[in-house]
Amino acid sequence: MSGVNFDQVTKRFGESTAVDRLSLEVKDREFMVLLGPSGCGKTTALRMIAGLDTVTSGTLSIGGTVVNDLAASDRDIAMVFQSYALYPHMTVRRNIESPLRANKRVRVDAGEVARRVAEATEILGLGPYLDRKPGALSGGQRQRVALARAIVRRPEVFLMDEPLSNLDAKLRTQTRLELVELWRRLATTFIYVTHDQVEAMTMGSRIAVMSEGRLQQVGEPQAVYERPANLFVAAFIGSPPMNLLAGTLQGANAVHTVAGTVAVAHPIGMAGGAAVTVGIRPEDVRIATIHDVQTAGVTSTVTATVLNVELLGHERHVIAVVGDARWVIRQTDGDPVVDVGQAVTLVVDPSAVHVFDSSTTERLN
Amino acid sequence: MAVVARSRRTKEALLAYGLLLPVVAVGAVFAYYPLVRIVQYALFQKYSNSDQQDFVGVRGIWEVLSSHAFLDGVWITVKFMLYTVPAGLVLGVLLATVANRRLRGIKIFQTVFSSTIASSVAVSSVVFLTLVNKQAGFFRNVGWLDLDTPAGAMRGVALSSIWQNIGLTFIIVLAGLQAIPDEINEAATLDGYRPIRRFFKVSMPLISPTLLFLAVILVVSALQAYAQIEILTRGGPQQSTETLLFKITQLQGKTDLQTGASMALGLFVLTVLVSAGQYLLLSRRVHYAD
Repeated sequence: MSGVNFDQVTKRFGESTAVDRLSLEVKDREFMVLLGPSGCGKTTALRMIAGLDTVTSGTLSIGGTVVNDLAASDRDIAMVFQSYALYPHMTVRRNIESPLRANKRVRVDAGEVARRVAEATEILGLGPYLDRKPGALSGGQRQRVALARAIVRRPEVFLMDEPLSNLDAKLRTQTRLELVELWRRLATTFIYVTHDQVEAMTMGSRIAVMSEGRLQQVGEPQAVYERPANLFVAAFIGSPPMNLLAGTLQGANAVHTVAGTVAVAHPIGMAGGAAVTVGIRPEDVRIATIHDVQTAGVTSTVTATVLNVELLGHERHVIAVVGDARWVIRQTDGDPVVDVGQAVTLVVDPSAVHVFDSSTTERLN
Repeated sequence: MAVVARSRRTKEALLAYGLLLPVVAVGAVFAYYPLVRIVQYALFQKYSNSDQQDFVGVRGIWEVLSSHAFLDGVWITVKFMLYTVPAGLVLGVLLATVANRRLRGIKIFQTVFSSTIASSVAVSSVVFLTLVNKQAGFFRNVGWLDLDTPAGAMRGVALSSIWQNIGLTFIIVLAGLQAIPDEINEAATLDGYRPIRRFFKVSMPLISPTLLFLAVILVVSALQAYAQIEILTRGGPQQSTETLLFKITQLQGKTDLQTGASMALGLFVLTVLVSAGQYLLLSRRVHYAD
């Protein structure tokens, strides 16, 4: 058992609260991603697990043991830093060995050290670089050395603080895959901090979205994407982000906006006239064709003006002004081609509409 | 095309020489010209009652450099160096390590530790002299600092020099320590390094270029120590604190010029040798960041 449990954990730095009453259970052998914009408290949460920051209040436990007052070096964790934090004066081999040799009181015998280094080196393909210094390695290789240094400890929990942010786009995609493979191979708990929602979606078994020190939503990536719990999560997850538009509730199944009426398939349990915000993913909205106009029964439409069309090769993004908002419509080859400045009618799939309370920002349907 | 390229190269060369000019000019006036004159003085023996001078040549210089007076000066200078450099370095590193933490009010300590850099050797020597004054000094009862005994005088001169240099050492080591990224120290903590081992295995190798620089600076400043000796002991008692430079400054009479100039040349060669040796010896153990 080596999950990590936050129970009402708060961290304050002087007057400011970095993490506010965080309650989150990271299960054993889970790949948990802490996701949020900079300053949301995700890194502070990770540093508290590592023991680099102390817990102001609440209870933090690793594998069922409360670690609030346990020294960083006595916790069974390993951490990969954003800058990798390799020792520049040591060879790659010395760097990787370092957790096994650092503490004289917990001596690991030489044969065991060599065996573990060989194993980590083999997993990460670092064999040819063992006698080099970190300065002679590329960014991707340095990142692997940092991972190897974490692996040799055989920790119960791996902590990673934006480990891919210093790599170029191509290497990042490749390393993403390798990290997930590593997690499967090691079968231990990974806690991974990132501000990149693509990393979170592609790697995490579950995602914990944070904002301003507070946990917004926890769940499997697909579930968070499909049913964001509030406006923050709705806007943060997804690329391009979810289209939003303010309006008022008309009955239980329709929202009136300045650009038209949006039908909602799932009834909303709130009084008519309430101020709400509708959200539609770019792939759930399309530009109406003549066929739509001729078909009776299409009631969920809004009017818009095309601002720009972005060509991405495999798809097009139509940027359109809807009321006072900007929407993105994701199009593929067969969809109607529009021109900049053209007035269009947008058709919204009622079953894909998200409705949020404008004042509390919470999800309503 | 070739003409254009050549005229551009000429222009760049002219600019380079122009930029070098101030350094060369200052060097010429204060270093190269005096060096030439010293060689000249060392080669000729003058006499007090006539304008005549004899060419004594390299043999004359060698006679001075193999004399007891010169060798005593070298020995006292080396002793002074051994008293001041290691102790000064260790103390500076110790203070900087202690002061390199984020605590409320740490700036006060950092200012205090670095304050000696703001006072001149002369001023701090006078202050030190007051401290060891036999009647009223704070250290009047501290026997091992008695400037009237040869050993006490050497210790006193060395201690005041260490104190004088500590500000510089402290500031430079502190800057070196603060240049180490926090994440490296945190990684070391997570790896299990306890503070003392972490210092020797991680911090010290990372500031080794700084330490080498300081060691060279401190050695050169020890070889050139003069003001504190002039003020505290005037070379005494029984010439026990007559370092080479102090001896040279005493040899200014017309007839002494050849001896003084020869000793100055000896000191120059000694300084070059010690600095170069130190650099070669220590640089093998220095890790420059990539």
